[in-house]
Amino acid sequence: MSGAFTVPLFLRGEVITDDLVSFGTRSGGSEFQAPDMSKYVERLPLANPMQMSDLYDVSFDEILDVLQAVGDALVFEKNTHMQEAYEAALLANPLPADMLKNSYQILQPLFARANVLEIADSQVGLAYLNGWVPQHLADGRELRVRAFGSRVLHIPAGNGGLVSAVTILRSVIARCDTIIKAPSNDPLTAVAIARTLADVAPDHPITKHLVVGYWKGGDLAVEEELYQPQHIEKIVAWGGLASVKHVTRYIQPGLELIALDPKRSATIIGAEAFADEATMRDVAGRAAVDIGVANQEGCANARVIYVMSGTDAAGVANANRLGEMIYEALVGLPEFISTAPLHPSRELYEHVDASRMADDWYRVIGGEDREGAIIVSQFDSPVDYSAMLSGRIANVVPVDSLDKVTAAVNAYTQTIGIYPESLKRQLRDQLPLFGAQRLTSLGYACSVAIAMPQDAIEPIRRMCKWIVEEECDPAVVMPLWRLGAVSAAHANE
Amino acid sequence: MSLTEQSAPSVRDFMDDPIGFFGESLTQMHSIPRAELEALQRKAMSIRFQEHRDSIEMLRKLADRLGVTEVDEFNDVVPLFFSHTAFKSYPAALIDNKRFDLMTKWLDKLTSHDLSQFDAEGCNSIDEWIDRLDEHTPLEVITSSGTTGTLSILPKDKHGAREGMVLWKICLFQTFGTEPTPAQLNPAVEVIWPNYASGKLGHLRIANMLKGGFTGGDESRFHSLYSDAVDTDLMFLASKMRAAASRGELDRLVIDPALAARKDEFIAMQMRQPQELDAFFTEMSEKLRGKRIFMIGTYNLMYDVARAGLDRGIKDVFAKDSVILTGGGLKGFVLPDGYMDVIREFLGVDEIREGYGFSEQSAFHFACSEGRYHVQPWVIPFILDPETSEPLPRTGVRTGRAAVYDVLLKAHWGGVISGDEVTIDWDLQCPCGQTSVAFEHDIIRYSEKTGADDDRITCAATHEVHNEAVNFMKEFES
Repeated sequence: MSGAFTVPLFLRGEVITDDLVSFGTRSGGSEFQAPDMSKYVERLPLANPMQMSDLYDVSFDEILDVLQAVGDALVFEKNTHMQEAYEAALLANPLPADMLKNSYQILQPLFARANVLEIADSQVGLAYLNGWVPQHLADGRELRVRAFGSRVLHIPAGNGGLVSAVTILRSVIARCDTIIKAPSNDPLTAVAIARTLADVAPDHPITKHLVVGYWKGGDLAVEEELYQPQHIEKIVAWGGLASVKHVTRYIQPGLELIALDPKRSATIIGAEAFADEATMRDVAGRAAVDIGVANQEGCANARVIYVMSGTDAAGVANANRLGEMIYEALVGLPEFISTAPLHPSRELYEHVDASRMADDWYRVIGGEDREGAIIVSQFDSPVDYSAMLSGRIANVVPVDSLDKVTAAVNAYTQTIGIYPESLKRQLRDQLPLFGAQRLTSLGYACSVAIAMPQDAIEPIRRMCKWIVEEECDPAVVMPLWRLGAVSAAHANE
Repeated sequence: MSLTEQSAPSVRDFMDDPIGFFGESLTQMHSIPRAELEALQRKAMSIRFQEHRDSIEMLRKLADRLGVTEVDEFNDVVPLFFSHTAFKSYPAALIDNKRFDLMTKWLDKLTSHDLSQFDAEGCNSIDEWIDRLDEHTPLEVITSSGTTGTLSILPKDKHGAREGMVLWKICLFQTFGTEPTPAQLNPAVEVIWPNYASGKLGHLRIANMLKGGFTGGDESRFHSLYSDAVDTDLMFLASKMRAAASRGELDRLVIDPALAARKDEFIAMQMRQPQELDAFFTEMSEKLRGKRIFMIGTYNLMYDVARAGLDRGIKDVFAKDSVILTGGGLKGFVLPDGYMDVIREFLGVDEIREGYGFSEQSAFHFACSEGRYHVQPWVIPFILDPETSEPLPRTGVRTGRAAVYDVLLKAHWGGVISGDEVTIDWDLQCPCGQTSVAFEHDIIRYSEKTGADDDRITCAATHEVHNEAVNFMKEFES
């Protein structure tokens, strides 16, 4: 049976569509086909590390030119590769059409010259990328440090076009040799960007150092052959706990894991939100955006929203009122931001409906048509199924003190959206101790910039190999062989 | 005497005492003409709904919200079905904080029995609370384990347990097509119970009922694998551990000091188990060899026992007319091909009965000679669209999500949706001779179906971290 679409293997500029086998996608029964990777796996890695040298014949200015050209060519309306990727994602991804299309519209500015420069300079340092950065150490030695690219394998997440684009962008900035395992729920975007790159820069070293293909996560015939230190030096793994855990089996000396691992986010709203009706509306609108963006498929989305309303009758009433306002704002969001989810979780709604019946403890606002819902706890704890919240379902939890909130922050916590700013400044020195990684203004949880650390690490720096060259003048830096002689002389005195 | 020769069948008898209504006869239960049965079921459903609407607050609120005031046709009841989550909708924090007064209040809204006079004062654990409910109310609740940090609590009652035991006897010891003999109505066999001796989990409550009911009253004929009870509070901890692990919060998990203080007791219990296992096999192969027995267990449990027995060189242990019951699906365990042969070889019996059911119902549906699970007459089966829960037509062959309305249930609402994918051929007259509607033999959980083959990646964590201790706890359940 032939699949609904084909995911070619992009092999260093060559587009391969032979030896096709079928794979299932996430949503519905649609299938796609891709080359049988066990037949190509030997050709994926670089035959010889020396082949990376051509990347250093390219100036950073030229890299910027190529990326700018790629960005300009990525404009959705005139790029057939991207249109194909979008059509494929419609079948393979739970996101509705407008949202998926929007995730492609933001790619051109991502690759723009000024943006790439900002990312490269702030996240690595242009001087380190382009040459040897000298430094004089206190012991007298002259140090020169340079960031080299590595041979890197990416296992990106598939929620929208951005992750594939950022993956390629980061790799190109760091002058890496790059192999990307396309995700099953967005199988074509990375290939489409690669093919666009090949169109604008055929035979360019950047094109020749890029491989994109699909194989099923856990396919040992591919992974055991490829995930070896002689082929790749780093694996950048996004995504679910199971897939990240799975990759760890290949980690060994010489093969490092850069884990952008599963995360959840939280929201904290201070008592100031209840100052007046207009403020409440503003706060509710911001919270709704943090919940609703891309239908809450991402790790940065708001899920449990702690509200410093207090838990007395008036406090709970305030939380309920805010919950209603958030719900109104949520269902009013424009379609390119948020819609009723295409595949609401039945299991989750079974819990939501049960909470609706347990009205001593929970007030459920909306959700009758599986359009999303706000569950307001009537006491100071989240619902017991909080880890399942998705498809625009959030839990507003009234609390009396910040202790309840810090107790909910842990090593799995990524973003915390906070209102107002003063509360964020009050919390910023404590929350990281519990595990929080990013504190942002309420309403911006899913407005993610690339020119900043992610998941409490700096991925591009980690993708680089930091190489030192030292120059030690025996007249300046005391050499060990003389240190011996000095000691002996002292001993003879 | 067939039913049609009786005076007009009474719906009240049918719905309140099906055992008497069908003359304690398996044959009569599954010979009633389909149209006649459905007319009874419709009336019974309509009456039971009105009773439960008055007596069960959560049902009343749901019906009010949906504007349902009466149910006349089968499909009218479908919007009122509960899913398993209804029975764990209480906040787990109530148990953590030992607010068994509030737990009682929650439970009161799920049962037709009045718990307003029940005093939970001083209850220090789930087991203490349930024991006190056992003692002072008509209830005999059963629990199961959840994965979200809570346990399901089903308000079953003692009346239903007694009734269930008699129904089991009828279904297990009688043969379809012949009227029951006194020996079949009051069987006295050795009961082999390859499990913990007792506990509040649904299947462990059964142990108590079999102890007297199947042994002719001689409890020394009840042989359990382990002598201990499963501790409900320990099960709750296991469930919380699972949930905490999935949230990356194992470090924050607080173990109730009262439970922690019993750690040595639990370890000792674990240490006893290998000896008890040996003693269990010795008893089977020496004292019980050749005897007629009744034994029940899930497939994987039966297989483990059989494998362990064969490894000890023990086989063909029991009388050929022994009654063996298994079922409950494979629960995610993978057994080797031919596992039923392994079980049969060890037991040495001709036939192994299979049953299908879920704990929200009053009784199992037993497999016929054709391998179909014939639905008990007081249970109205439904096949729902697996996603939307809309009922599929009651004609032709339909596959979808199993749901039932059980008119026999009095203590709690009888409309429940399962997590199982089932098939019914509505037009089939089963060659086995039973007139009842039947589930086809192959039944699978939707969770097993969707979870098995999926490498989708999103960065939101929903996967569960497995934990050695919890896996150990999971063994308790089966």
